[in-house]
Amino acid sequence: MKRSGAQIVIESLCRNKVKTVFGYPGGAVLPIYDELYKNSHRLNHVLCAHEQNAAHAADGFARVTGKPGVVISTSGPGATNLVTGIANAYLDSVPLVAITGNVAVPLLGKDSFQEVDITGITQPIVKHNFAVSDVKELSGILDAAFEIASSGRPGPVLVDIPKSIQTDVCDESEFVVQELFFNDLPEADLSAAVAAITEAERPLIYSGGGVVASGASEELRTFAERISAPVAFSMMGLTALPAGHPANLGMCGMHGSQSSAKLQSECDLIIALGVRFSDRATGNTAKYKQGKKLIHVDIDLSEINKNTDTDIELCGDVKTVLQKLLVLLPQQFRPQWQKQVSEAKKLDLPPEENSLTPRTLLKTVAKYCEADTVVATDVGQHQMWTMQYFPFRSPRTLLTSGGLGTMGFGLGAAIGGCIANDRERTVLFTGDGSFGMCLQELATAVSQKLPLLIVIFNNGVLGMVRQWQTMFYEQHYSSTTLNRKTDFPALAKAFGAEGKKVTALSELEKALTTLAPDTPTVLDCQLDMDEFVLPMIPPGGSVQDLVTRRN
Amino acid sequence: MERFIVELTVANHCGVLNRITGLYAKRKYNIDSLTVHESSDPALSVMRISSRGNAAIQSQMTRQLRKLFDVKTVVLLNNSML
Repeated sequence: MKRSGAQIVIESLCRNKVKTVFGYPGGAVLPIYDELYKNSHRLNHVLCAHEQNAAHAADGFARVTGKPGVVISTSGPGATNLVTGIANAYLDSVPLVAITGNVAVPLLGKDSFQEVDITGITQPIVKHNFAVSDVKELSGILDAAFEIASSGRPGPVLVDIPKSIQTDVCDESEFVVQELFFNDLPEADLSAAVAAITEAERPLIYSGGGVVASGASEELRTFAERISAPVAFSMMGLTALPAGHPANLGMCGMHGSQSSAKLQSECDLIIALGVRFSDRATGNTAKYKQGKKLIHVDIDLSEINKNTDTDIELCGDVKTVLQKLLVLLPQQFRPQWQKQVSEAKKLDLPPEENSLTPRTLLKTVAKYCEADTVVATDVGQHQMWTMQYFPFRSPRTLLTSGGLGTMGFGLGAAIGGCIANDRERTVLFTGDGSFGMCLQELATAVSQKLPLLIVIFNNGVLGMVRQWQTMFYEQHYSSTTLNRKTDFPALAKAFGAEGKKVTALSELEKALTTLAPDTPTVLDCQLDMDEFVLPMIPPGGSVQDLVTRRN
Repeated sequence: MERFIVELTVANHCGVLNRITGLYAKRKYNIDSLTVHESSDPALSVMRISSRGNAAIQSQMTRQLRKLFDVKTVVLLNNSML
């Protein structure tokens, strides 16, 4: 059967079980959009307000479902607008397939209208990309894109399709299959790891996004209980154990819990699962490892020994490796270490407060959330407070920009996450700075009738940068005081959403009990501009440098 | 810093050299010399890239190169092997 390139795109998406795509039309993807129009019964296209947010939405969708998110944009500016979204997915290992149109083949390489070399531009921030040069290759390339995006360590793949290839026609019998070559992983030698764990007196698990990505929450819980070890999380891994679990120390690193910092310095073995030892999670890597053994489990061989020297490397899927380890490890009791753990956890108790603060705000919103409520954040102080105080209960419920730290990520991600989670109530915690970077996407949330709860931590400043200026730059508040007069509730209403100003906890409670079921609500919460995110390990510092209170 | 050479078999189509040199640039390693030629199989090219670095850098570069989908084989040649 003869098909056009645009038809092949639709068939490939459906064959790869895609039901929702995010995007924005334009000149170089008109043939694809014409086929989307004809296939709306089996492929739902969510029109966004900006390609960057469309990419974040596909990213949020992928984080919730674990399957590749799909974003489509036109050539030139449409393609370059995806760049931040692609980089964001790359640094957080999120499976994403980005499809861009490009100018027709005869116009390529001539600086034609809306032509950019998007495969060249995205090369350092994709797992792989393809510039399609023949319609016969298109079907195979799209299948390969889905395979690459979701296999091994997930990541974004971009497929650039010139407009003339979208209209070129070929027969199925002419399709060229892309042969994928995956380098074999070395066989993991578990005996050294089993010996090190058995010999350790004070083992600590450092768990990351790889545990969530491989669906290894159950294995992690059993493993932690089996070897009597506490678990400190990187931000990407935070949801793998429920907040109330006795082994859960919460997030570690720059703004991690005191208990994680204390126990990290006291442990004699670190078992790192699906993490990459980001500088935000380890601080000074030399001091981080001092006097400890390190076991590193990761599916990406190049992550092992990249940021820190490993004693025992186990390359493989975290879930599989943990399952194998559990077969070999009998129950281990470490009463003395367990006592240290429960003592250390007492350091993490938040202060008693009755007024509207970042902590009471998060606790109050959490009361109105289900265990599977998807929570998105933007980037900055509100993000760190969410990690510290929001009680996450299930994996894949947290959408946050970890590696890239993308202000403006949140609203797009919340839209994608909400659609992925059957359009259930979804919460976005954001700041007045971050929200200002993406707020045009409210239009999409309204047109899609999404029950988003958007909570703005409005302190009138770029709080995290201000905190650093207070601590390290002699209170020179250079360009971090916003002096804006934005009326967020009125702005929400202008977009067709609901909006309320919140100045007290009682107002927050009242607003949360009267949320509209089929439209976004923006709660503009007024907070003190001089709240600090604490504790904090200053950049390049170690546990010994932990700051727990102001001054 | 020890000199080392990686010998790569890579797909022979446009943009591949860019991906390889881009990886060196991104990881901040300098390339001292580079040769590329088509192999006996026209679908594949052979590249030899010489640069300098300690054992950790050599291991990291070969591991990163193995991740590229256009790279089929990676062989590390260093003083201890020559």
